[in-house]
Amino acid sequence: MAKKKNKQVIRPWCWYCEREFEDEKVLMQHQKAKHFKCSMCPRRLNTAGGLAVHIQQVHKLEPDNLPRIENALPGRDGYEVEIFGMEGIPAPDVADYKRRKEIELGLAAGSISQPPAKRPKTENRPMSEDELKAALAAHKALMGGANDNSSAAATEQGAVYGAPPQAYAAPPAPPAMPIPPPGMMPPPFFPPGMAPGQPPFPPFPGMPGFPGPPPPGMQLPPGFPPPGMMPPPGAFPPPPGMMFPPGAPGPPPNMPPPPTFVRQQQGSSASPPPPMNAVSPNGLATSPPPPSMSVTPTPTHASTLEQSQPQPSEPTLPNNAPKQTNPPFKKPTELKYQDANFSPAKVRAFCSKYRFKVASDPTASQNDESRGKKRARAEDFL
Amino acid sequence: MTDTQFSLPSPPFDSISKVQYSPTNPNQLLVSSWDTTVKLYDVGDEASGSKTSEQKCKFDHRAAIQRSATWISGPKKTNIVGSHSDAVSSLVYSKELNALISGSWDRTIRLFDPRTPTPEQSSYETPERIYHIDLVNNTLVVAMASRLFHIYDIRNMQEPKQRRESSLKYMTRSLACMVNGEGYATASVEGRIAVEYFDPSPEAQEKKYAFKCHRQTIDGVDHVWPVNALAFHPIFNTFASAGSDGTVSVWDHKIKKRLRQYSKFNNPVSSIAFNCDGTKLAIATCYTWDEGEQGARTERERPQVWVKTVGAEVKPKDWQA
Repeated sequence: MAKKKNKQVIRPWCWYCEREFEDEKVLMQHQKAKHFKCSMCPRRLNTAGGLAVHIQQVHKLEPDNLPRIENALPGRDGYEVEIFGMEGIPAPDVADYKRRKEIELGLAAGSISQPPAKRPKTENRPMSEDELKAALAAHKALMGGANDNSSAAATEQGAVYGAPPQAYAAPPAPPAMPIPPPGMMPPPFFPPGMAPGQPPFPPFPGMPGFPGPPPPGMQLPPGFPPPGMMPPPGAFPPPPGMMFPPGAPGPPPNMPPPPTFVRQQQGSSASPPPPMNAVSPNGLATSPPPPSMSVTPTPTHASTLEQSQPQPSEPTLPNNAPKQTNPPFKKPTELKYQDANFSPAKVRAFCSKYRFKVASDPTASQNDESRGKKRARAEDFL
Repeated sequence: MTDTQFSLPSPPFDSISKVQYSPTNPNQLLVSSWDTTVKLYDVGDEASGSKTSEQKCKFDHRAAIQRSATWISGPKKTNIVGSHSDAVSSLVYSKELNALISGSWDRTIRLFDPRTPTPEQSSYETPERIYHIDLVNNTLVVAMASRLFHIYDIRNMQEPKQRRESSLKYMTRSLACMVNGEGYATASVEGRIAVEYFDPSPEAQEKKYAFKCHRQTIDGVDHVWPVNALAFHPIFNTFASAGSDGTVSVWDHKIKKRLRQYSKFNNPVSSIAFNCDGTKLAIATCYTWDEGEQGARTERERPQVWVKTVGAEVKPKDWQA
């Protein structure tokens, strides 16, 4: 069928009678049978011109008194226009037809008749300092959101189950002020000047307040907690996202993270880590990066997780559930639904709009509120 | 043949999770939706003009509806029958047992007797999240994540009668049992349908097969859409499949031929159902979350329920009635 999206909306149609067809082949068959059929013999021609020549030569009719084209709309029954399938239709007629089609389909004006807007031109010049700052702020805001995602996924292997409600239960953050992602240090721990919810990759060199650009995966000034370390249970309350919802069946142990990371995790939860602000005696191995760096040692892990779990509040595999992978395709294929582990409905159920929590879950109250609003709106509609 | 189809008035606001006809009344259609409602329509014959379709009643629920059940006796009163600890993915009603059977993402199957004061009768663990269940006579097919299938005899739910792995290599997306109770059809997200038989004997198992559908080659790249729903015709035992590509096809699984492909809808088809006398096919078109939340933001037609009057195209060529 049609190759372009544009064409999927408008199906091939016949200029003579404005009928729509499944595809051009059928349209041509139609034109041959209905419009380019000689009225004096069984002959069918491919075009109006062909028919005119046929009638003149075979049936010896004067060019002036050729019969009109059969079954055509008034004004479209002449031989002047050479139509072949969809080709040769006068431009004004195409535009007119599309306009009427839009109205009929209830689409916005121009959605068919005008080509999609071209991408705005981007200026290719060095950015000024102000612009750079603005861009950085925007990026941070953006990454703050994304951070929810990757850090939640990466840092709390043990507690992913609890994460989704938290992520969505959190009030919508103002765009410039990212919310601290679950599983990160609470804001007070951040060095001054550092935005909570920093991206989980190496920070930008020269970021204000950041003590020098550390090479990825490496060592940072003392005074920060060790990498991959959860807040010690006793030191301060874990962020809400870390807690399991009352009915949740515990942490899914079978998530497939890189083993090293898991070991770190388990180690940290089994034995209380050193006090947050103490300089680690072990030097390199545990020398502490700033909180936001806690996932840098496993950037690949974070990114793979991100691929398989594109949303911050993601469904997680239950206990013992093997992770599925889609087998490869033999020929170039675009699979429309690529997640091998969660059905579309499952993913959808994790969307904030559809979240529903039992009243006993403290994290649900916020959701219930937004849900309530949505329903009220739906009822207004009725 | 002219297509006789029309869309129901006042469809749900959000995607339709399932459409289902009454097991006894060929005109009553139940539509459940992600907008938390279940609507019951009396689908009249618009062509004759004698009766028009109307929305008979509406149930509001507190959470998005995954699946509506084959309903029991009609809308009299709503009572909470039971609960699962995670979303209920599918429900069927067994006439034989007078029981409501539910499968859930919490990896249990539960049986409820809605007439008793304590409806929940029993609960059975399954190894994986249940995506779909379907029932024919006393045979219950449970399709789970990780492409697992269990086949139970509902009179003895302690042990599955058969444990199978899907013959399809991708996630199971839909399931339907043959009306003659010989087997079932299942489909995956990778545009493919498998026809399988219950009988474990090698001769019967040899008949099982799978085929590709709901795909299109564009510029040498195969575009493959999920098959969202399957429905067997109650009389002819042919079946219809619906895909995210917006098409509905009718297949004769005996001769392995496609009988008909209906013209494409502008939205993915999320659910289909034949009515009990097999004269109508209800088709729900709406966004099916294949592209996640981004996909929900793109502008598209609102969800709709189409009712198509089906004719000889659903009848096998060699049908002797």
